[in-house]
Amino acid sequence: MAGLYVKPGNKERGWNDPPQFSYGLQTQAGGPKRTPLTKRVAAPQDGSPRVPTLETSPGAPPMGPPPLSSKASRPPFVGSCPPSSMEPTNFPVVESEILLEDVLRPLERALEDCRGHTKKQVCDDISRRLALLQEQWAGGKLSMPVKKRMALLVQELSSHQWDAADDIHRSLMVDHVTEVSQWMVGVKRLIAEKRSLSSEEEANEEKSVATTEQNQTVPGIQHDP
Amino acid sequence: MATYLEFIQQNEERDGVRFSWNVWPSSRLEATRMVVPLACILTPLKERPDLPPVQYEPVLCSRPTCKAILNPLCQVDYRAKLWACNFCFQRNQFPPAYAGISEVNQPAELMPQFSTVEYVIQRGAQSPLIFLYVVDTCLEEDDLQALKESLQMSLSLLPPDAMVGLITFGRMVQVHELSCEGISKSYVFRGTKDLTAKQIQDMLGLTKPAMPVHPAHPAQPQEHPSISSRFLQPIHKIDMNLTDLLGELQRDPWPVPQGKRPLRSTGVALSIAVGLLEGTFPNTGARIMLFVGGPPTQGPGMVVGDELKVPIRSWHDIEKDNARFMKKATKHYEMLANRAAANGHCVDIYACALDQTGLLEMKCCTNLTGGHMVMGDSFNTSLFKQTFQRIFSKDFNGNFRMAFGATLEVKTSRELKVAGAIGPCVSLNVKGPCVSENELGVGGTSQWKICGLDPTSTLGIYFEVVNQHNAPIPQGGRGAIQFVTHYQHSSTQRRIRATTIARNWADAQSQLKHIEAAFDQEAAAVLMARLGVFRAESEEGPDVLRWLDRQLIRLCQKFGQYTKEDPSSFRLSDSFSLYPQFMFHLRRSPFLQVFNNSPDESSYYRHHFARQDLTQSLIMIQPILYSYSFHGPPESKR
Repeated sequence: MAGLYVKPGNKERGWNDPPQFSYGLQTQAGGPKRTPLTKRVAAPQDGSPRVPTLETSPGAPPMGPPPLSSKASRPPFVGSCPPSSMEPTNFPVVESEILLEDVLRPLERALEDCRGHTKKQVCDDISRRLALLQEQWAGGKLSMPVKKRMALLVQELSSHQWDAADDIHRSLMVDHVTEVSQWMVGVKRLIAEKRSLSSEEEANEEKSVATTEQNQTVPGIQHDP
Repeated sequence: MATYLEFIQQNEERDGVRFSWNVWPSSRLEATRMVVPLACILTPLKERPDLPPVQYEPVLCSRPTCKAILNPLCQVDYRAKLWACNFCFQRNQFPPAYAGISEVNQPAELMPQFSTVEYVIQRGAQSPLIFLYVVDTCLEEDDLQALKESLQMSLSLLPPDAMVGLITFGRMVQVHELSCEGISKSYVFRGTKDLTAKQIQDMLGLTKPAMPVHPAHPAQPQEHPSISSRFLQPIHKIDMNLTDLLGELQRDPWPVPQGKRPLRSTGVALSIAVGLLEGTFPNTGARIMLFVGGPPTQGPGMVVGDELKVPIRSWHDIEKDNARFMKKATKHYEMLANRAAANGHCVDIYACALDQTGLLEMKCCTNLTGGHMVMGDSFNTSLFKQTFQRIFSKDFNGNFRMAFGATLEVKTSRELKVAGAIGPCVSLNVKGPCVSENELGVGGTSQWKICGLDPTSTLGIYFEVVNQHNAPIPQGGRGAIQFVTHYQHSSTQRRIRATTIARNWADAQSQLKHIEAAFDQEAAAVLMARLGVFRAESEEGPDVLRWLDRQLIRLCQKFGQYTKEDPSSFRLSDSFSLYPQFMFHLRRSPFLQVFNNSPDESSYYRHHFARQDLTQSLIMIQPILYSYSFHGPPESKR
């Protein structure tokens, strides 16, 4: 879903700045469990230098600088990958222009759905940010990966896949914060509001099914619409 | 030898514990002759994907001075439904819920493979996670923009019910009131004047109205949601407004004259942050995240003046007693660190600048509370951005890897006492029968508080054998230690992790070979290194090196095989063979050698050394050499 790529660090501002892993690589669970290469060789005790036998496990690729935090999220060594992002397209149409309308319309529709359920101020705020999204898209300020992933997000939102949509929004915030930060929080809120609206609707449905069943077991009593 | 390596590895994987000695010398005198103290490296929250937590509370020993947790070492009478505590030998009745247990139907905590068990506490209010951002605005435009974007991004990584707050500072300190309505307000404080906690709370309007308080029922923060919520709001309500607020942050407006540093009031900003959390969420897990782009130059906690021609203190200045502000500043931050730790709040410092930022004076804030210390050149680097992202990384269950408000308690069997701990903790000053009078590290207690920790946070815990010389080996032949960690999980559940281990006693005079074979040289190296680094904070550098060298010489004298007057005959057994090279590299490492490092850099390296697990610590002492060849340039990797 999210891209798996490694960008170089900012060599101008940071000496030896490490490469930057994309959100997709960071959240990948572990990868193949490699034996930790922690075997050490003791100094020869009889004073003569000898060729050390390699005690590392064969086949385990030596990796670049170890990741900064805990071991479970170890990305594979991708130094030889091209620095450009490798975005998988889920669209049947090949490399076509992703239309602003295809992304904006479902979002606006979702917003309309939420109007009854959400405070006016929040809706206005979201709507303001969608307008910002439109402006930036139409003005050519958004890059292709951002547009592609937004299209994907809108798809997931329309299919009620809240967690997937949320994950895509997070991956966009992590990988492309400069482009999306101004309006993405509106999309995030929209997903959250749609999610809570839909769970409310489900709860109401269940309740009304229960009452209908109840009423059906007692004939003769009029069921109020 | 191979069996001990396996034994050591299995124990580390299961319990997160590695001991310097795995067969224990049975008398105090013999233990001191071993040179390397009996000690262990403990990772309290070691990730155990194969260990699901149990959904009930632990069974405790009923003796009030003991209260050890039921564990596989306890003797159990299944018919009478009694168990004997292996630490104090008290016989205890099983609670009614255990009526159905038997030899073939054991509860998890009695099974030998469950030496480590994690319990989930169902009762009690679950408080949300709290994040308070304290942001320096005396940054270059690019840096500030990059920092703002990182902060906005972090709002997407935080869970929706986490509480978040914002304090910005430069010459003045601004506490931002977070509201969903249009106009954003903030409370402005002068950066030159320090305020007491009470003054801060009064000025921010946090003092609760006077009401009779029953001593057994202190007022919970949840009872006054309206007071506490102005400055700290849940993400799901405030994310859009806070994103805008962050986006609108400007550089500190006060002009910086030529030849001067910007006036940065870090000391007051941090003081207000600590006071704010003290007044609103005491005794709840919280993170104060301090972002600085240069040294504090004004007010309490200032580390250097505003004249660029007077450089910030170097090690040379400190040795010559020429660091004007150091003592006062260190005292200021130590006071804040202790207050934060007392409330269970941890302080992170993200310092990105080309020159020093005062980490030497501020290090107590991270070291006493278990917070992170990040040192970089600029906020516009992947080093900062990636590190900051990974603070919010999630485990295989989708929970944050951070834990809050932990208390570590150590219980020992009678023949042992606890001498102290070295790591990101503060003492809780709990005296008891397990506490030794001789202190190594943070001693005089059997309980410590670790306000912020993650699955790799590691402490070194030092013990003392107290059996008298020639006293018989205790019945059963084994000593036991229990480590109990109470903590707030990132899902806001309270949990308890209990690890109980045992090792054999041996008479050092007749069974020295057994004790030797069970020596864990890697653990011993790291434990001695932690002792050395701990000493280096208060002693002179050359004294620490002398001490370290003497310990190595004594160890080699005791355990080396050699013929006198013949240096080439010296041999160490396999279980000691790596130890000398660790000491060789350690005494040249930036942990003990400050030459060519600034005081901030030394503080940074030592900060990380005092909390990393064993493997990372060893790599820091001596990086692993994978291969080398004399025949040409490095081969391309497979």
